[in-house]
Amino acid sequence: MAEPKYDRGSALSIFKSDRAEDFVALLIALVLVAVVVMFIPK
Amino acid sequence: MIYSQKTPATLILGIVFAAYGWAVKQGLLDGMLAYLGQTKNADEMVAIALTAGIVGIIAGIVQLFATAREGNFDYYLSTIAGALFILLVAAVVKWQFAPLVAILSKAMGTVGGTGKPIHKLLGLNYVVLGILSGIIIVNYFKIPSWAENGVRLSRLGLKTGVILLGALYSIAELAKLGQLSVVMIGFFVLGSVGMVLFIGARRHIPNSMGGVLSAGMGVCGVSATVAAAPVVQAKSTEIAYTIGTILLWGVLMMFIFPPLGHALGMGPVQFGAWAGTGILNSAQVAGAALAFQPDGIETLKVAEIFNITRVLFLPIIVLWLAVWYVKRESGAQTVNVGKVIVGKFPVFVLGFILVFALSSTGIFAPANHYKGKYFDNSNVSAKKMLSDGDVATLQAQVDKVQREDRTAALSRLMENRKVMSIDDDDTLRGLVNAKVLDKGANKILKKAHKAVRHTAKRVKKFRQLIVWFFAFGLVGLGMQITFASIKQAGGQPLFIGTIVGATKAVGALIVILLFVQETI
Repeated sequence: MAEPKYDRGSALSIFKSDRAEDFVALLIALVLVAVVVMFIPK
Repeated sequence: MIYSQKTPATLILGIVFAAYGWAVKQGLLDGMLAYLGQTKNADEMVAIALTAGIVGIIAGIVQLFATAREGNFDYYLSTIAGALFILLVAAVVKWQFAPLVAILSKAMGTVGGTGKPIHKLLGLNYVVLGILSGIIIVNYFKIPSWAENGVRLSRLGLKTGVILLGALYSIAELAKLGQLSVVMIGFFVLGSVGMVLFIGARRHIPNSMGGVLSAGMGVCGVSATVAAAPVVQAKSTEIAYTIGTILLWGVLMMFIFPPLGHALGMGPVQFGAWAGTGILNSAQVAGAALAFQPDGIETLKVAEIFNITRVLFLPIIVLWLAVWYVKRESGAQTVNVGKVIVGKFPVFVLGFILVFALSSTGIFAPANHYKGKYFDNSNVSAKKMLSDGDVATLQAQVDKVQREDRTAALSRLMENRKVMSIDDDDTLRGLVNAKVLDKGANKILKKAHKAVRHTAKRVKKFRQLIVWFFAFGLVGLGMQITFASIKQAGGQPLFIGTIVGATKAVGALIVILLFVQETI
């Protein structure tokens, strides 16, 4: 894939930094954890 | 800069997903799902396909009919088409392609004396097929321009998968680990990482390649590779190369370890420890252990204990690589470790630790679970207890059983009509694997096993989510790998991987033969 010119993020990520991507991943994971705990019986 | 394109692709993808979900829900695809052995995944298909369908249709309509304005909304909206494109490929791989490969492979019979079909031996599951599909698409068909922005979401998927991986383990398992497994694994994990970094520097491979390869070779394959990649700023090709090296090495060792173990007269504990230390990929560790001892699960249990111990070292290795990378890239002699942790340590690895800690509290499953499975015989319903007929069938064949532990476990089972302990359950599973009894009796033993082994529903859900995040991430990763970039990486990583893998396998063998007896 020819590397597109993005004015945001990098060729590997839509986020401005690795850390921003990490926090979004953490947020998604924690939301999923909360949903699983709330809606699925143990 | 305006990112979203006026393309009907998002809408079409949404309609395709919605139509598939609807067809599965209506039972129109029951025949195909039954043939592929995917009937059990029908609910998952409906949920994922309908959700993706609704998102795609709404985003597609907005893209087509609204006027795009520069800003966050346009930027994130433009990623949806690519995300759906990756999801579609991942869904085809997971629901159709991988099951079809398994069916064809099984039809070809088992390979040699391994008792396993070729797709199991080569690890042709959704991981490998997903990466390969992505590579084929990018190199032979090109990624459509409307999907390019979404392909950059694949790493987010992998990171989320690694965080959720923490839900499969708990501190209670670690308490059961023998000291020997921790010391041995620690020695070989740290040794392998150090060795890859040392040889990599000598052979002038890029720091990013050396860093990611060292994590993959040292810790536990795919997850460790993904976890370490951002710390050393590894490229997609380097990640794929590392995964390829690990899997190739694992396939080779799966064939070599079992006959060598028999030739050296190793017992289940020794061989389990060796396979759990020397083979890098979890599935291949299990394959080698079962190939060594097809008539029992003692070897598999030991190998799994050694295998799980490796995961513990993941945060330590990531920290090491973060410090090492900063040092190498900046040329600094000393590095402020605290500063590196604050500035470089990946938050998603901390997320893995956080979810692991949550799992250890027992909110997902009983604290003594292993990957969501646990033993409980306190509430076995009358329907699931052995019937008089079942007991009579087992009684008629009890003389066939030679081993005392198996006879005793079988007696307790017949007396109480249910499996009485986790040890009895393991022993009886070994008896089933050994195929000492006839099919009817083995069926009864399997029924008794199912009655006392439970899967925690929450952990089961986490496992499904992890598989999807990994499938999504790996297909997207494959889409970032061109043949030119593979050529550029050259043969060095494979060479280094072979040297380090062989040293680890031989070193572990020597330590085990010298120090590991048949009990730990």
